[in-house]
Formats: sequence, structure tokens, C-alpha cells
Amino acid sequence: MKFSIQREAILQPLSQVVGVVERRQTLPVLANFLLVAAEGQLSVTGTDMEVELVAKVSADVEEAGETTVPARKLVDICRALPDGASISFETEGEQILVKAGRSRFTLSTLPASEFPGIEATAVIQSIQVEEKGLKHLLDKTSFAMANGDVRFYLNGLLFDIRNDLLRTVATDGHRLALCDLNASFDLQENLKKIVPRKGVLELSRMLQDSNKTVELGIGKYYIRLVHGDVKFTSKLIDGNFPEYEGVIPVGANNTIQADRAEMIRALQRASILSNEKYHGVRLELTDNNMKIIAHNRDQEEAVENLSVEQDMPNSTLGFNVTYLLDALNALDSDQVCLAMEDPNASCLVTEPGNEENRHVVMPLKL
Amino acid sequence: MSIRILPDHLINQIAAGEVIERPASVVKELLENSLDAGATRIEIEIEQGGKRRIRVRDNGLGIPLDELALALGRHATSKIASLDDLEHIASLGFRGEALASIASVSRLTMSSRDAAAVHAWQVGSYQGEITPPEPVSGDVGTTVEVLDLFYNTPARRKFLRTDATEFKHIDELIKRISLARKHCAFELKHNGKVVRALPQATAPGAMLQRVALLNGKQFTESIIVVENQRESMLLHGWVAKPTYARSQADQQYFFVNGRMVKDRLIAHAVRRAFADVLFHGRHPAFVLYLEIDPELVDVNVHPQKHEVRFRNGRETHNFIYSSLHHLLADTRPANPQVGEANQVASGPAITPSWAAMSPLSAIGQKGSASLPIRESVAAYAALASSPVAELPNADESVPPLGYALGQLHGVYILAENSQGLVIVDMHAAHERITYEQLKQGMEGSQPQVQQLLVPVSLHVSSAEVAVVEEYAAEFSRLGFELQVSGPESLLVRQVPVQLQDTEITQLVVDVLADFISLGSSSRIQEQQNEILSTMACHGSVRANRRLNLTEMNALLRQMEATDRADQCNHGRPTWVQLDMTSLDRLFLRGQ
Repeated sequence: MKFSIQREAILQPLSQVVGVVERRQTLPVLANFLLVAAEGQLSVTGTDMEVELVAKVSADVEEAGETTVPARKLVDICRALPDGASISFETEGEQILVKAGRSRFTLSTLPASEFPGIEATAVIQSIQVEEKGLKHLLDKTSFAMANGDVRFYLNGLLFDIRNDLLRTVATDGHRLALCDLNASFDLQENLKKIVPRKGVLELSRMLQDSNKTVELGIGKYYIRLVHGDVKFTSKLIDGNFPEYEGVIPVGANNTIQADRAEMIRALQRASILSNEKYHGVRLELTDNNMKIIAHNRDQEEAVENLSVEQDMPNSTLGFNVTYLLDALNALDSDQVCLAMEDPNASCLVTEPGNEENRHVVMPLKL
Repeated sequence: MSIRILPDHLINQIAAGEVIERPASVVKELLENSLDAGATRIEIEIEQGGKRRIRVRDNGLGIPLDELALALGRHATSKIASLDDLEHIASLGFRGEALASIASVSRLTMSSRDAAAVHAWQVGSYQGEITPPEPVSGDVGTTVEVLDLFYNTPARRKFLRTDATEFKHIDELIKRISLARKHCAFELKHNGKVVRALPQATAPGAMLQRVALLNGKQFTESIIVVENQRESMLLHGWVAKPTYARSQADQQYFFVNGRMVKDRLIAHAVRRAFADVLFHGRHPAFVLYLEIDPELVDVNVHPQKHEVRFRNGRETHNFIYSSLHHLLADTRPANPQVGEANQVASGPAITPSWAAMSPLSAIGQKGSASLPIRESVAAYAALASSPVAELPNADESVPPLGYALGQLHGVYILAENSQGLVIVDMHAAHERITYEQLKQGMEGSQPQVQQLLVPVSLHVSSAEVAVVEEYAAEFSRLGFELQVSGPESLLVRQVPVQLQDTEITQLVVDVLADFISLGSSSRIQEQQNEILSTMACHGSVRANRRLNLTEMNALLRQMEATDRADQCNHGRPTWVQLDMTSLDRLFLRGQ
């Protein structure tokens, strides 16, 4: 294999793909990129066997071939070379020679046949979504995914796809985030697929705020998205997501309405003195005032007062302040609406009069 | 085969199978008889590891002539007379089976003389036949000789080990029994040679010599004296400091009313008390005596009486736990003169209840006999205070850990106190201080509870479901809400906030197992403490952090005020003292 390419041209795909390569692993080839050069094109693949990213870029290919090279070292080398340098790659036995100007690097390689590819299975369903809208869905919900939970199906984001709707849902067992995007798909049946945490994070790194449509290909075990020169493939989590609709309070008649930005700032200030382990805050409601109280172990106390409109006077609520802040930050409106059956029941956080973006936070008993 | 009643001799041999396992078990049964007869001197002669000959001679009450032959019969005893007596047993034996069982698997002769007789009488037993009494010479007391153990049960004989091993078991047994009876002298001979001679140990501190036989000198050098009384229970004895922890659960001796037992409830209580100061997988060492009203303990549980059952299991557990827990909390730097002197000089200066009621005549007396604790506490206090008063130049103004001199390689703090040099492991000490502060902050507060949006469901056995129903209140006190969702499944609906990131399923299953076997569980607390311990580790000064003298002195003062400051969270010592004498020795000064 032999090809040459401009530094900037190769840096772009390399840094897009490198995020998926784990820093530590047991299978050495997973630390490598798969480089395939053919017909004036170079493709770079990185994988952790769960998420795979393939980026393509045109290059001056003299001799077609494929090999794998250490990913992070290659990225570091290309990044450190001077601007506008032309880099040439040539395999020599089990090594690859990288030359640019007066620099020479010899990197060890592993055979391309050892590189685990995600088998391309048939796409059952393809849907077209506006890129901006998909990014919005991920941004509003992905923070609530669990991380390393034994209930493996919580360590990901649910894509609930219906004919008129694309919905993402995430929960870590303590709080839930849900976001809807209106659409019109032509589906044979409703689909519910869980994309693993890492896939979601890579996907939201790739997507931009553009009006272009992207195509999401959904297979039985895989989800795929082609974005410009980059192809994203992720395994799906084979499990049943909890029946989330049952835990979202419907028609809860006790509501609190407050200025969202003000409430965020008040909670942030109070949280400085909340317990560093579980961040409990108490919300005391009287007439049109919400008193936010936080304590820590040293018996220090923070008190914030916030004017609110509410119809459940003289009650006290307890929350994990980080969960509440996450939910508030995921909304866009000026005002925020908190609704619940009673102070000990789950609390629904929404934009007033808008059900598209919903968050459920379980209370703390303080 | 038709059904028939077995001959007595065979019944005895079957019973012997339960109790008589090896020569040491014979010695145990005979010694217990002697002790129940109020003996103050017992001689044990062994030949060939006890396989050939075991002879136990005591100076107890003796047996009158007319009861002599009866004593060898099955279910014959003078220790209880009615079911009522069984409810409050103060003697070691009561089943009336030992002699008959031993006689059925050996050639046994017994001679005895009670105070009223002018000479001793001897009976023998061979293959179920009891020979008529014949006069022999002898002092007041009873002598039992067991020859050719297991001569008629070759299967058992095959399982016996070498003479040396069998003798070692007997020796161990004597050491253990001697720990329970300080008023009795023991002499053990093997093949004609005196192997162990233990005089009466009534003098203060003498018992520690017997303890040293069993647990080694190192144990006796690092002990904490235990003595605590609550209502009808008295706990006394010695526990080793946490820094003297064992990798195995040996060196754990527990006596209930003078009887050595191995009980899970007790073991758990002790382990829990040590939980905070021992590293995982290390075991505490102790010799502890529990004196308790015999009515509150059932010894009729196990043929060899290794186990007992407490009427108020939870109360007993709590008593043992809290006694030790408070004691261990006090392991912090104090003026060392007081601590050391007090520990070495004082054996338990108390007269345990069984000592007062050892003669057989006293057995009928109700076990609620008042425990002579008040006087002994006074005696104990006097003992503890005297060395302090005698110290000529105890400088009151120097705190126990003294004042910091400097820091060594960013790891150790060197300080000077009235004794000499103190070396403190800075990180270990600060870790303990932070940990205790975190725990204190936690203790007073209500458990804070996080409700779960998605309940965790788990599959359990129907027995565990029953436990959940039984202990529902207990679980909610700990901050859990468990809901039975099926005959073999549970839903966890809320958990304590501190534990929300731990693996709930495993924790709940473990807690249920604890409730089933012990009726209580400390697992949740342990789990919380583990989290606090990690937090403490991260929140403490690390090695290689330079401290100035003010900071170091502040740390030393905090250590003096912190519970359990002598060990870090993992049971390692936080400080050591190098006194002037040992420093002088390094330089061969004054020699």
C-alpha cells in the first residue's frame, strides 16, 4: 500500500474516527485504525466492536492495499506535523513508513484481516430526519442515560419510532428525559430500538445544526447513519426498555410555574451548600414564594427565595438538585412548569403548554 | 427384618458415636464431670495419646457407695432432676450419658470416695456388664480410668491419628478448659512425664499466663480489658487490639457461663464491633466470658454443647456488640502510662458467678444469683488508678502525642512527647479523622430516601419473600421500600440516597440472607461506611504533601480527640511510640 495526502485532508477524518477507539483494551487490533486505500480514496475505520465509524477522504493512491496502524499515535503524528505538509504512507513488511518533509516515522502494523468489522446486515427500515432535529433530540435526552448500570438496557437511549413521531427516551432509574420530533414516516410497524450510550455520544458529536436531511438505517441489531463522508454504525442493545409511559404522570393537578433561568440560577447557588454526595435540596412552597434550602454536613445552609405561581401552598418537596438542574437546562422556554400528584410523587418538568420535551424527576425524602 | 428394641449396650454405643469422637472428647466429658463436682485440682494422665489409657483424678465431692454403680448407667445423673432444672442449667453436663457412652466403647473403671466414706470403692464396666463395687484405697474425690478406647469399634479406631496428634488435641482442650476455671489447678501427664502444670490462677494477672499458653505472648501484650454489665449479663475478658488481627478466625474463645461455645450470633456481634477497624478478611482475636442468667440460655441444643441458644438473642447480640464497640472507640492516643500499666497489671479482678456456685450443692440455686460486680469494679478502678499516682514526673502539660518536630519524606510526622519519639503516618491518621467526622455527620440524621422511577425487580425464594413481609418495618427504617410483587419476586421502590449508585440487587439479597440467619443485618450500614471510607480516603491529605508545624500539631490534637484513632480505616496502626529506652538501646547508651 502506498499513498500520499495533505495533512489537513487526513486530519479531518482521523479526528472524527479516533473518538471511538478506546484508550485501553485487551484486543490489540482495537487500538488501531483500519486504513484502506483504493481508487483514489482512503477510508479510515475505528471500532470498539460496538460502535464503528468509517470516514472517507480522497488521496493520491499509488498502490492499493489495506493495513491497520496504531490510532492515537497516527493522530498525534499528523497533528504535530507542520501546516500544509504532504504526508506519504508506504507499507514495508509488517511496518508502515510515514514521511513528511524531513520527518520519518515507522509504525508497526497488524494485518487488516484481524480487524473486526461490524457485519453489514440488512436494513429493515430507513427513515429520513432533519439533521438539526435529530441533534436536538439527542441533546435534550442523552444526559439522563445510565452509565454502567446492571440493568444494561438503561445504558442507552431509546428510539421510539412511529409513523408520525420520532421520540427519544433516556432514564437512569431516578429520572427520565423524553423528547418528541414530529415527522411522517412510512413504517410497516412501530420500532423501539435502544442505541448504546457510546453510540449516542458519538452520534451527537457528528451531527450539526443543519437543515439537511440524514438517513437513519435501522436493522435488527444495528443502526446506521451516513453523514457526509462518515458512516456511523452502532450495535443496538438487545433488551426491553422499561414501559416509560407508565411513569410519566398524566393530568397531575398540582403545578408550579416559575421563571426557568431564575430558577436555574437560584438552584445553582443553593447547590454549593448541598451535600456533595447526593445533592439534596428542599423546596418549601408558601403562597407565591418558593424557598430553596440546602444543607451540607457541616451544618452550613443556603436559602434562596424565588417567586412562583403555584396551586399547592404549604407543601415541601425534596429533590436531587443535579437531576432538577439537568431537566431545567434541557428546556428552551422562558417559563418552566413542574407538575405532580402530591409532594411525594414523581414530578413532571415541562415547558408550559408544550408536551414535546418532558422530564420526570423522582423526589427525595429529606 | 422385624422391628425390635435395641439392647442397652448398643444404644450406648450409638450415643457414644455422637459425643465420643476421639480421646480428647473422653477427656472433655471426664473433666466436665470433675468440674461439676467442684474439684479444685485435677490430674490427667495420658498414655499413647489417650488410645491406650486416660486417667482423670479429681478432688471433688466424690460419689457415695450406693450410687456408684448407678453412675455408669445410661441417663443417670445427679445434675438435674426435673424438666424445671433443665430450664436453668448451671452445670456443664446434664444429659447423664457421658460415662455410659465412654464405658460402652472402652474398658472403664471408676473409684470414688465421698467425704463420709472411710475408704474408696471401685466399680468397672466391660461390655455392658458392671462389676460389683469392691473396696480400694483412695482420697476424697473420683478417679476414672479409661483403657483401650474404641477396642470394640474398629471403624472409629481407624480414624484416630498419631499419638502426638491425639495428644495435641487433649492439650488444646486442657488449655481451653483452664481458661474457664481459674480456681482449679490442672496437671497433665503424657507417658509418665508432666507436660503441663497449671496452678490455681486466682491472683490478678495469673489468668493472662493461661491465655498466653493458648494465644501466645504477643496476644497478651496487645490486649484491651473488657468488662461490662447490663441487667443480668456480664461480659468480661480480653480482646486484642485491632492491630493484632489474624488472617484466620482462630484465637477466638468465647465462654458462656464457663462453657466454651462457638456460636454464630456471638461471632457476628464481635465481628460487627470490629467492622470499622479491621481490614477485610482479617479476624479479631479474643478471650471473652459471658455470665448470664442460666434461664436465658438453652444449652440443650447440641450433643457436644458447642452451640447454645439465647432466649433473647437480639438483646445478647446488642449487648456484646455495644460493649466491644464502645471499648474499641476508645482506642485513641491517651497518656500511654495509664493505658499500658493498667492493661498489664490487671487480670479480671472479678469473681464470676460460676466460681461462687461451683460445688454441686449450689447447682440447684437459681442462676439469677447476684453477680458480685460492684465490688470488683471498685477494685478494678483502684488498680487502674494506682500506677498514675505513682508516676513521679508525668508532665501534665504535654499532650499524649506531644508536639511535632518535622516531617519525614512527606509521609511521616515526627513528634516529641514525654516518652520520647512519636512517629505518625500522616495519611492514615487523617483518613481516620475524616472518616469518623463523616460518620458522625451521618449518624444523627434521618435516612434520606431516593424513590426510584424504574423500580428494580429481583427474583428471590419464597422464604425470602416471607422475610420481607416480616421485617417490612425494619427495611423502611433503613430507607428501603420493598414490595412483594409475586410469590417469588420483589420490587425495590426506594433506596437510601447514599446507596443509589451501588448494586441494589446484590445488597438486598445479602441483607435478606442476614435476616434469615441472624434476625438482623448490619450490611446496609457497612455498605454506607464503605462509601464514607472511600470519601474519607479521597478527602485526606496524601503522602508527599508538605505540612508546616502548625498543621502537624493540629493533626496530632485531632487524633487525640478522634475515636478509634489508633488504627486507620484498614486496621493499620496510625502511630508508634519510640520511647527513650529503646532509642538509648539503639545507641548502646548506658550499657
